[in-house]
Amino acid sequence: MSNPHKSKNKDLPRWGMVIDLDRCVGCHTCEIACKIENDVPLGIWRSWVKEIEKGKYPNVVRSFRPTLCNHCENPVCVKVCPVNAAWQREDGIVMVDPHLCVGCRYCMSSCPYEVRYVHPTKGMIDKCDLCSTRVDAGLKPSCVEACPSSARVFGNLNDARSEVSKLVATKAVSTLKPEMGTGPRVYYIGLDPATMEIKREAKLVWEK
Amino acid sequence: MGKVVFDVQYQTTLAFLISYYFYCTGLSAGSFMISTLSYGFGMSKFKPASKMGVVAAVLLLLLAPQFLLMQVGWPIKSVWNHFVYFNPVSAMSYGAFLLMLYPMNSIVYGIFMFKGNMKMTKIFGLIGIPLALAVHGYTGWILALGVARDYWNTGLMPIVFLFSAMVSGISMMILLIMVRDRFFTKEKVINHELIDSLAKLLGWLLVVDLFLVFCDYSVLLYSKLEAQEVAHFMLFGKMSFWFVIVENLIGKVIPMVIVMIPGMRKSYFWLILAALMNMCGILAMRIVTVYGGQALPLM
Repeated sequence: MSNPHKSKNKDLPRWGMVIDLDRCVGCHTCEIACKIENDVPLGIWRSWVKEIEKGKYPNVVRSFRPTLCNHCENPVCVKVCPVNAAWQREDGIVMVDPHLCVGCRYCMSSCPYEVRYVHPTKGMIDKCDLCSTRVDAGLKPSCVEACPSSARVFGNLNDARSEVSKLVATKAVSTLKPEMGTGPRVYYIGLDPATMEIKREAKLVWEK
Repeated sequence: MGKVVFDVQYQTTLAFLISYYFYCTGLSAGSFMISTLSYGFGMSKFKPASKMGVVAAVLLLLLAPQFLLMQVGWPIKSVWNHFVYFNPVSAMSYGAFLLMLYPMNSIVYGIFMFKGNMKMTKIFGLIGIPLALAVHGYTGWILALGVARDYWNTGLMPIVFLFSAMVSGISMMILLIMVRDRFFTKEKVINHELIDSLAKLLGWLLVVDLFLVFCDYSVLLYSKLEAQEVAHFMLFGKMSFWFVIVENLIGKVIPMVIVMIPGMRKSYFWLILAALMNMCGILAMRIVTVYGGQALPLM
């Protein structure tokens, strides 16, 4: 009764993504493709590219960090959800069930990657679902499809011959915040640590 | 090192309504503790505060979940789904049960107390103590299990919440008992002995509360980078006015000094001032903890 999302099928793939930042040019196309595909409201992103600038003119470089839900192996959001609305499919995609979600926002404040948001009209939590409907239809997620430099690679991590598995096996990949013990399944090649720096100041609610 | 050109701002989620909810449950738990001191533990000097305590506890705990329901996106669905789709590993799942059990127990306890049935009052008072501890401890526990935020993710959080609950509850009881004795009794005389022992209790609980804050911050300042950042944000950053001045100086240190000095404690003017300052300070503490704890971006 308590968890309506249990199923026993073990022969499914484990979806994951590798983002090659040596190829990423910071064009933000993935961001726009995601917005179009998933009808994401204004002011909110399911997937976005954090962009930072390092150095002093004329010696300036930009680094990018495309961000999306990490579809963790051990997701915090699924653990903390009081009504089982955050759930994980057998193929690893972390989903939000709109019939169960009550919009308590506990998952938002518990997610170490801050990828969840409140949908302004539905009043419930929404996030990247790796374009699950496209994936079920045999297509790639729209951000992967749209990337002009093929920096995003999507595939089955259970299959040793897939491109993602080969990249994870052969390249020096890193994940975001491995110390949280969440086991992210979005891997980065050439991730700049400076894109993960925390700012000591924040804009407070009463300053807006 | 790097200057951020583009990033998505996190929607601050658990903000003021949750702070008010925590504040009300804290006041409720604190006043319930005072009310059980005489019936549950036989400290008869606190007996005149018992009835006041249980009424305040019930009323505040009926008020508290309203803030919670205003906060969630789907209030009616949330009540239903919390019971039907129970997730045993989520801290918040248990809240729905506690928020129902605790006021029910308090009402039964109150009815027996007003009817003068001492034995049943004691039984329900003693059942109520762990419930009151749980209903407020769990609010700190929710934050402590929000593992992404270093400010929250400490085992001290439920204890800090419990002590601030008791402190603010006692301050509220001091004010309520003064108003009741002065205006709503035949003698129109304030029970000085009761007020004085409550004030002494307040003083020592404030000492413990300040010690817990010190422990928490000393660990944060020595801990990993994110914890250091949030401690700096609280102590020297934009939150410092609310944390250092309002919460700790006005809310805890000055009231502690006032109730620790016998001459000032005996003066009703200073005592009312201390109680009011402490109640404001604890409200600031809730806002600082809930809102300030998640104001910094994580990545």
